Amino acid sequence: MVSELTAAMADLKEQEVQELVVQRLQSAASPTALLKELHEGLDIVGERYSNNEYYLSELILSSEIFKQAAALIEPHIKDIDAKQVIGKIVIGTPSGDIHDIGKNITVTLLRIAGFEVFDLGVDVEPHAFINKLQETNASIIGLSALITPAFEPMKETVTLLNQAGLRERVKVIIGGGVTTEQVRHYVGADAQTMDAAEGVEICKKFIGESPK
Amino acid sequence: MSQEAMSRRQRIEKALRLEKTDRVPVSPLITFTYVLRHKGIPQTEAEKNPDRVKELLYTTFTELGEFDAVSSPGVGRRHDFSPLQGPMSVRGAGKGLPDNAIFQYEEKEVMTVEDYDRVLEDGWDQFALELYCRIWGEPADKIIARHQKSESQWWHDLQLWEEKDIPIFLNFSVWSPLMILSCCRSLTPFTLDLYRRPDKVAAVMDVMVDDLIRGAIDLARSGGPRTFQLVLERGSAFYYPLKLFERFEFPYIKKMVEAFVAEGLIPVLHLDTDWTKNLPYFKELPKGKCACELDSTTDIFKAKEILQDHICIKGDVPAAMLSLGTPEQVETYCKKLIDFVGKRGGFILSTGCNCPIDAKFENLKAMIDTAKNYLPST
Repeated sequence: MVSELTAAMADLKEQEVQELVVQRLQSAASPTALLKELHEGLDIVGERYSNNEYYLSELILSSEIFKQAAALIEPHIKDIDAKQVIGKIVIGTPSGDIHDIGKNITVTLLRIAGFEVFDLGVDVEPHAFINKLQETNASIIGLSALITPAFEPMKETVTLLNQAGLRERVKVIIGGGVTTEQVRHYVGADAQTMDAAEGVEICKKFIGESPK
Repeated sequence: MSQEAMSRRQRIEKALRLEKTDRVPVSPLITFTYVLRHKGIPQTEAEKNPDRVKELLYTTFTELGEFDAVSSPGVGRRHDFSPLQGPMSVRGAGKGLPDNAIFQYEEKEVMTVEDYDRVLEDGWDQFALELYCRIWGEPADKIIARHQKSESQWWHDLQLWEEKDIPIFLNFSVWSPLMILSCCRSLTPFTLDLYRRPDKVAAVMDVMVDDLIRGAIDLARSGGPRTFQLVLERGSAFYYPLKLFERFEFPYIKKMVEAFVAEGLIPVLHLDTDWTKNLPYFKELPKGKCACELDSTTDIFKAKEILQDHICIKGDVPAAMLSLGTPEQVETYCKKLIDFVGKRGGFILSTGCNCPIDAKFENLKAMIDTAKNYLPST
C-alpha cells in the first residue's frame, strides 16, 4: 500500500502533490520522509514507462512535479546527509553539435535519481570533459549527440581519458538519435542508448560496478 | 546494371503511386552541406558563392553515378523565413560555429505562454513574422528580404536541373502546428503546456493549421515540384502517448494532407524519431497520394507491413552507417530494404533523414549502385 503522496506522484497529479506536500510540512512531517515518498512515486512512474504505460512526455511532467515539490521541501532539510548523492557524472554535447533536448531530459532524470550532474552544455571540447572529470572526481562521462560530426570528438574524449590514465575508473555512455552500437564501438564507449530513462538505469549499474 | 525501362521521373512518380517500377528508385537527401565537406570547402562558401555550390552539387551528383531525384537544387530554400516553418534561433558556419560546421537549430524558448494569445488574436502568419523579427533583432522588411533572397536563389538553382531534366524531389517544407510550437516554445515547456493548458494549445493549433494549409498551397501554385515535405519530428510515440497524438498531431496532419492532396500535391511526411506505434493512423490518409520518409529509428520493416499498398515509404540508410560503415555494410542493408520494403513497389531508397555531412562517398555510391543493380528477390 503506497502513501497518498506517492500515489499522487505516480499518477502525475500536479496540484495534489503540491497541496499534500504543503499540508504535510505544516503538520511537521519529516522532509526526508516526504522526499522518500516522492521518490517511491517516481519509481512507479519509471516502472510504468518501462511497461509502455507512460511515455517520455509523462517522464517530463513527473520531473517537473518532483522539482516543484522538492523546492518546497528542501529548505526544511537541515541534515546535509539527507541529500544523498549516489554518483557523479560529467555530461555534455560534444564539440560541433549544439543539440540538447535529449541531454537536458537525461540531466533532469539523473538529478532526480540522486546523481550529482556536472552539465557542460553544448559544443563541448573533449579536454573540457576530462578537466571537469578530474576536478570533480566523477566516475561517469555522458556524451549526447544528434549529428554525426559529434562522433570524432566522442572518440577523442575517450582517447584523452586513456591518456590521462582514467579509463579504468571512468565509464563512458553515449546517447542520442544518431548513435548506434556501431558508434559505441567506434568511439570506445561502454554503453549506448537512445532512451534517457534507460541511460539513467545504465548509470546506476555503472555506480554499482565501480571500485569502492 | 539492370535494364532500365523508365525515366527517372516515371520511376519516382510510380513509386509514390505504389505502382511497380523497373527497379527501386533512389533519392538520397543530399544537400550542399555534404557536398562542401566532401569537396573540402568551408560551409561559409554557401553564402559567399551559391552558384559555385550549386555547380558542385551537380558535379557530386554525376560523380555518384546520378540518381533518380535530387532533394534540393542548391543553397536557396523556398520556406526560409516563412511562416511555413517554426521561427527558431540558429547557429551555423561563421555564425557561432566553425567555418566547416553545419547549420543547426538551437533549442530555445523563443515563444512565451502569453504568445499563444497573440496567435489567437493576429493569426499565425502575422505572429510568425513578429517572432522572426524578435529572434533576429531585425525589422519585418529585412526578414521579408531574407525570405525573398533565399527563394529567388532557389528558382535560380532550379534552372540548372530543369535544363538537364533531372527531377527535384522537394519543393519546400511545411511543419505541422505541433512541430512548430514544440520548437518555438521548446520541448519541455511545450510538453507541459499540453498537460497544463491543453484547450489553449488546441485553439492555437486550429488557427495555425488553416494558415499553414493556405500558405503551402499558395506557394505550390506559384510553381515548382508537386512533392514537398510535411515535417513531423516532434509528435511521435517516442515523445507522446497516443491520446495526445490523437488530439494534437494526427487531426492536423490529416487535415493538411487531405487539403494538399485535393490540390493535386504530394506531401512527403518527414518522420524523424520512432513513429512505429503511430503508423496505423496513417492508413486513414489518402491511399497512394503521399509518402513517409523514415530516419532509421522507426522500424521500416514494420512500417512496410502496416502501410503496404497504402503509402509509399522512403528511407532509411542510417546516418551512422553512412559515416562509419563500409560499402559492403551499406550494400547488404540496401539489399535487405529492396527485398522487404521494395517488394511490390511503393518504396524509394534514401538516406535516413539528411545525408550526414561526413558520410563516406563510397558508402553513398554503394547505396546508389545497389538501387540500380539489384532487383528484389522473388
